[in-house]
Amino acid sequence: MNTAEIILSIVNIWIMIGGVIAFVFLLFGIDRIDEDARGAYVFRPLLIPGILLIWPMVLWRWLRLEMGTENWARRHKPPRKLHFWVAILFAISIPLIMLLGWSARQTWPESFEPQRISLLQQENVR
Amino acid sequence: MSVKYIPVQWNSNKWKYNAIMLASVFVYLLIFIELTPGIMDNEGRINTQVHNARAFGSCAFFMLSVILCIGPLARLDRRFLPLLYNRRHFGVMTAFVAITHAGYIVDWYFAFSKSNKYEALLFANTSFSQVSGFPFEVFGIFALLCLIILAATSHDFWLKFLSPPVWKSIHYLIYAAYIAVIAHVSLGILQDQQNHVFTLTFVAAGLCVAILHLLAALHERKHGDAAGDTSGDWIAVCNISEMNEGFANIVTLSGGERVAVFLHQGKLSAISNACAHQNGPLGEGKIIQCLVTCPWHGFQYDVTNGRSPAPFTEMVPTYRVKLVGDQVMIDPDANPPGTFVEPVPMPITEGA
Repeated sequence: MNTAEIILSIVNIWIMIGGVIAFVFLLFGIDRIDEDARGAYVFRPLLIPGILLIWPMVLWRWLRLEMGTENWARRHKPPRKLHFWVAILFAISIPLIMLLGWSARQTWPESFEPQRISLLQQENVR
Repeated sequence: MSVKYIPVQWNSNKWKYNAIMLASVFVYLLIFIELTPGIMDNEGRINTQVHNARAFGSCAFFMLSVILCIGPLARLDRRFLPLLYNRRHFGVMTAFVAITHAGYIVDWYFAFSKSNKYEALLFANTSFSQVSGFPFEVFGIFALLCLIILAATSHDFWLKFLSPPVWKSIHYLIYAAYIAVIAHVSLGILQDQQNHVFTLTFVAAGLCVAILHLLAALHERKHGDAAGDTSGDWIAVCNISEMNEGFANIVTLSGGERVAVFLHQGKLSAISNACAHQNGPLGEGKIIQCLVTCPWHGFQYDVTNGRSPAPFTEMVPTYRVKLVGDQVMIDPDANPPGTFVEPVPMPITEGA
């Protein structure tokens, strides 16, 4: 099995587990932890892609809400501490990456004649 | 939110916003694909599949650039706030445009392999040790995954379920996605681009996003919310002369929480500055009929108890307020969301 096959197998397993969790959560769990979802069914299929992708986080939040260990104060504390430095890093990264790409670009003189550096596999066989 | 969930909460503003957005995408694709294919595209002869891939890919890039400009623009100038209102729909549409781009790419460049086309995408180029010829596809895959996660978790259910700070943290992936897209384009199509109209628009859009974020960050640092004086048990917010009827003064507590102290009908009330919906800045909203309206998405709260009007059930924490001389002070220990606190009357000034 090559690396690409392993990666795709992991993706398949991840999605299958997510599918099982989506089934249980949307049929039974969601009504227990969110009163606004009770009696509301049409919107539930919209949640399936999200559950397939971030199911470990769904399990973590589901558990916290089921156990009643949610800290209400944390809901009102947005993550803003690193805002300034993230914005600076983000702004600097954009031109730097563009420059990197530009510096790697190969520009040949118009008179350049392409040269074959190796034979094709079929030609080698002959 | 807070009444029964429905797939999409439509209103006339959202219809208009989406109509303009869809029309813009349609016009862009029409120009790129049909009207002026030579201007934005590569000069070399390419087939329809590749041409469409480039049209949708560049469209997704420009949409992402616009999305990322909205935040800093709204922070720099409040007149851009209406653009923020329906940004999630914009993001979902961008994800679909990006998926279409990826579909065209995979179904052309990797569809004729004997292997599974997704496997071929992963193993076709593994020259990770060099810049020139770097497998730029990985940046595209990463960016696409981020966009899909953001789109898939855009329903209001996710905000309530994950909590606004966790949801926000996940949605900061948009910055990583944009950096990845910049790398995807810089190490991908730009390596071979002969017609530089696209190159110039790409650089201009990227620099626009970078400069706006830089300006907004500096603006925030200069004009951001003041840190409260934490020398005592109560926090000094401001002088009473700095309070304006119908508006708030915001103070940052030592733990990072922000509190908005409002003056309404001559009385002071304090609530959390973070809206229960997306943690929008309530202190930047105005009070109308005892309710402060969040400038981001219009959620409303009674400033005396932090509760949304029925039938909505959102609540934010409240804080105790007192006056010491002409200083407005708050108790930094928040009351549980929805707790009523008796408003504190301002002293009657001479001539009032």
